[in-house]
Amino acid sequence: MLDQLLAALNETERAAVDEEEYNILRAVVDELLTFSRDISQLIPILQEIQGKHGYLPRLALDMVADHVQTTISKVYGIATFYNQFRFNPPGRNPIKVCLGTACHVKGGEILLENFERRLQIKEGETSDDREYSLERVACIGCCALAPAVVVGEKVEAYVTPSKVEGVITEIEVRKEMAAREQVRNEESQ
Amino acid sequence: MKSPNSPKEHLMVQAERAQGRVKELKESPIPVIYVGCATCGLAAGALETIAGFETVLKENGIEARIEKVGCLGHCYAEPLVIIQNPGFPPLLYQKIGAGEAGILVRSFLKDGSDPCYEYLIGSLEADENFPTLMDYPRYLYENRVVMEHCGLIDPEDIDSFLAVGGYSSLAQGLEKGGAWVLDEVMAANLRGRGGAGFPAGRKWKIARGIEKSSKLVICNGDEGDPGAYMDRTLLESNPHQVLEGLALAALAVGAERALLYIRAEYPLAVKIMERAIVEAQEKNLLGADIMGSDFSLEVSVFQGSGAFVCGEETALIESLAGNRGMPQPRPPYPAVAGLNGLPTVINNVKTLSTVPSIIRNGHQWFRSIGTEESPGTAIFSVVGEVEYPGLVEVPMGVTLEHLVVDICGGIKDGKELKAVQIGGPSGGCLPASLMDTIIDFDSLKKVGAMMGSGGLVVMNEDTCMVEVARYFTDFTQGESCGKCTFCRIGTRHLREILKSITVGEGRMEELADLEELSQAIIKGSLCSLGKTAPNPVLTTLRFFRDEYVAHIEEKRCPAKMCRPLIAFYIDLEPCARGCDACVACCPTDAIFTTSNRKKAIDQEKCVKCGECVYVCPPEYDAVRRVSPPEMIPDQGVEPLTEKNESE
Amino acid sequence: MSDNLITITVDEQKIKALAGAFLLPVCLENDIYIPNLCFLKGMDDPPASCRLCMVEIAGEDEPVASCRCRISEGMEVKTNSDEILRLRQLAFRLLVSTNDGSCRTCIANHGCELQKIAKFLHQPLRTKRLRHIDRDYPKFINTHPFLIYEPKKCVLCGRCVHVCGQLEKGYKLDFAQRGMDSIVSLFGSDLDPASQDCETCLACTEVCPVGALSSKVKWQSFTAEIEAKAKK
Repeated sequence: MLDQLLAALNETERAAVDEEEYNILRAVVDELLTFSRDISQLIPILQEIQGKHGYLPRLALDMVADHVQTTISKVYGIATFYNQFRFNPPGRNPIKVCLGTACHVKGGEILLENFERRLQIKEGETSDDREYSLERVACIGCCALAPAVVVGEKVEAYVTPSKVEGVITEIEVRKEMAAREQVRNEESQ
Repeated sequence: MKSPNSPKEHLMVQAERAQGRVKELKESPIPVIYVGCATCGLAAGALETIAGFETVLKENGIEARIEKVGCLGHCYAEPLVIIQNPGFPPLLYQKIGAGEAGILVRSFLKDGSDPCYEYLIGSLEADENFPTLMDYPRYLYENRVVMEHCGLIDPEDIDSFLAVGGYSSLAQGLEKGGAWVLDEVMAANLRGRGGAGFPAGRKWKIARGIEKSSKLVICNGDEGDPGAYMDRTLLESNPHQVLEGLALAALAVGAERALLYIRAEYPLAVKIMERAIVEAQEKNLLGADIMGSDFSLEVSVFQGSGAFVCGEETALIESLAGNRGMPQPRPPYPAVAGLNGLPTVINNVKTLSTVPSIIRNGHQWFRSIGTEESPGTAIFSVVGEVEYPGLVEVPMGVTLEHLVVDICGGIKDGKELKAVQIGGPSGGCLPASLMDTIIDFDSLKKVGAMMGSGGLVVMNEDTCMVEVARYFTDFTQGESCGKCTFCRIGTRHLREILKSITVGEGRMEELADLEELSQAIIKGSLCSLGKTAPNPVLTTLRFFRDEYVAHIEEKRCPAKMCRPLIAFYIDLEPCARGCDACVACCPTDAIFTTSNRKKAIDQEKCVKCGECVYVCPPEYDAVRRVSPPEMIPDQGVEPLTEKNESE
Repeated sequence: MSDNLITITVDEQKIKALAGAFLLPVCLENDIYIPNLCFLKGMDDPPASCRLCMVEIAGEDEPVASCRCRISEGMEVKTNSDEILRLRQLAFRLLVSTNDGSCRTCIANHGCELQKIAKFLHQPLRTKRLRHIDRDYPKFINTHPFLIYEPKKCVLCGRCVHVCGQLEKGYKLDFAQRGMDSIVSLFGSDLDPASQDCETCLACTEVCPVGALSSKVKWQSFTAEIEAKAKK
């Protein structure tokens, strides 16, 4: 199925499928086998792919359509309806700014702007080096700790505009430490 | 496998064993530390707190058990810790970070002498040496029926629920039968806690009356209202109570399949519920032939994918079927023909969580709480500018004033209450003059608000009502499924008009447009998302029209919140020479030093984030906010240059 | 449903029709025009999404979409009260506020349902009171081998999605995105060999009330014609 799909692409489209994406698609082939071929499985399947790989590659949609025996436009229609799904890879450090009521009243919008300025990307985008992506979310339910931001899996409470710098610095420091650790490990080997 | 034992006897065996285990914990010879680890506790740093305890316990060679519990609902005090030290009553501490954890271990657990009153809220049990929780209005006035065990039991251990009588209502229901359960819930007049207040029993009765071999009950945990999180708390902190309610609903309806629909933004709730289902199945409290009866129930979790509209019953069913979550016209009602045409009963998490207590205590008891037409309790997530934000469970029928002022401590920082927003995007903004409104389904509707899912945001004079209306309209507009004309395009026009007003480009005649559009959207929309979307607009127009007018005619935002209509400046009088606090925090380097070494703001660069107001030391308090921006006085500011420095 | 004939009253006119039939087609068959866009005759489950066919029914508190309302004996219907008129006019104004309004160069000119409804409701095709909302899409999308789609003209009635879904290998067309961004999507049709069937079918283009979805062949010859006229 995957090879068939790849063959149907034109040259530029095929070139756009890099090795990383190809490997994801290979994995999707196996993941699909764990689901029954029923249309009611469509959303759980998309959730599984997104959960494992962070996004839904274009050809994965075709594969899902084939698996649950529906058309690609239906799969696309569903994937674009729900906020959860995305079609490009997220950054390694996804940042989600909560814009629920309490966070909004306490300046969530301003936080988002500060992140945009600091990271030089707009909401919904991923930085060129794929290090960061920035999104808005509607309420993560930490209203009493507003404004809140989710960095990776961690919820940061009471974030003020000047804490934005700190959040980014923390990520950078962790990255730097991991890099040094790696160098040390390589040297000791 | 059917057993010769009755469900009650079956449960008794489980419960006795659980009580034994829990008793062991309660009477533990070593200290037990309970840490609140629901999403909000984690956000406040509960994991760091646990790590702090672990390190210091180890350093000091003290043996203690650390147990994770759910959420007490006292979000202002997170991370919350309960310490059960032999010889003391269980004590509740607030705002315990890693550092405080170390102090508690060293002073209280190691020496056993100092219970650290500075962090203490109170004792969970009456005790002559300690204040008890009942000494605080926040605890005294609450009536915890649904949240009774939240934050006190381990959500990941079914035994801690069994030990407090968990699943006994289900056992009782199984002995007396589904018809009896239905009658009790009907007699209790339990109204749906999802927002509209439709009697749960009526839905059940419709579905029960339909002759179909297969029926379905669904727990609606697609809590999408930005500002409400009680469903999440109930799922995370007492999952088995939800499952017990779900099983009772299934019993009453005659369903053999049940689903929990939980939104994807709540990963912890999904994890905890999935685990709870497995645990309950292992103990034969769910699954085939429950507690030896002939009633079987298969339960699974379905994750919502992030669409607010899926909180609407028919849209939720569409998304379960693998479709776009678009609401469908009713009739047919889901209770008659829902998922795949099967009778489908959908109840909110809070509704289902209430059911076990009704079965246990009887409908008369339930009707003795709350009001005649809205019996029982209501859970509100009170957030915003109050002293003690968090989840509050009160009997229906109390006033807003009582909830906000008496229980939640009133407005922070001695400011004035301006409005409360109830019911989120479908609700309304009520002014201070309506604070004597009684909280129940019908009274709130009468004044233009709605119980909704129970989100309650308290606002002071610094919140702009036009901006709040814009925010909610922006939200519903973005969450509109796009099916029907009024909601899809109508709410967009509402948003455009509100947006133009908040940036100072509104026109007076557009206020009439807002009203006309709102009325038409309410009348013409297909589903309740559209039908309630204009409520924030209509209530703010009704109670805060002067703010709209100020925005339009004077280009002034009375709350000084709408950024295009405000400006910041530094009052040179109180500004301290040589202080650089504001310069350091400004994200756009808009603050510069003046020729007399004070500070000023470059209006071109300023993004009006307000951070400088925050950091300016209170003894100077020199940053001013004005609206409209032209109000900045001319202070003859000149930047510091080499030339004037030498002067 | 029985085949009993029953009597209902629509705007003081007595009408006999089959019990349980939908009200809208009954009215249309009896020469009582009610504006509508999303309804197609023979639908079992009308989407009731355009909200133009709202009517008043005695005993109901709120206006009702006639396309989904099943008739019953003695039903009294008003299709032309002031309130209904206002509601419909506003629904129409909303619809055209997102429309690009380029009738003269539109393939549906003179056959367009919006033009017909505008005339009936005495409403202009460009609304002055409401601002124009430009939907963020290209003027046309032509990834499909045989179809061309003009998102700025589309009223999202869903007739095309419906007829395509009725076909054996249907739903090449489906809605995509959400809210104001909703469109009819031809996603994947460029790669899908099944799109070849569309050449002879074109059912979706026939039901489109506004000329947002057209056969590529027809569309090309029409644009050529327009361009030739413009040159003269």
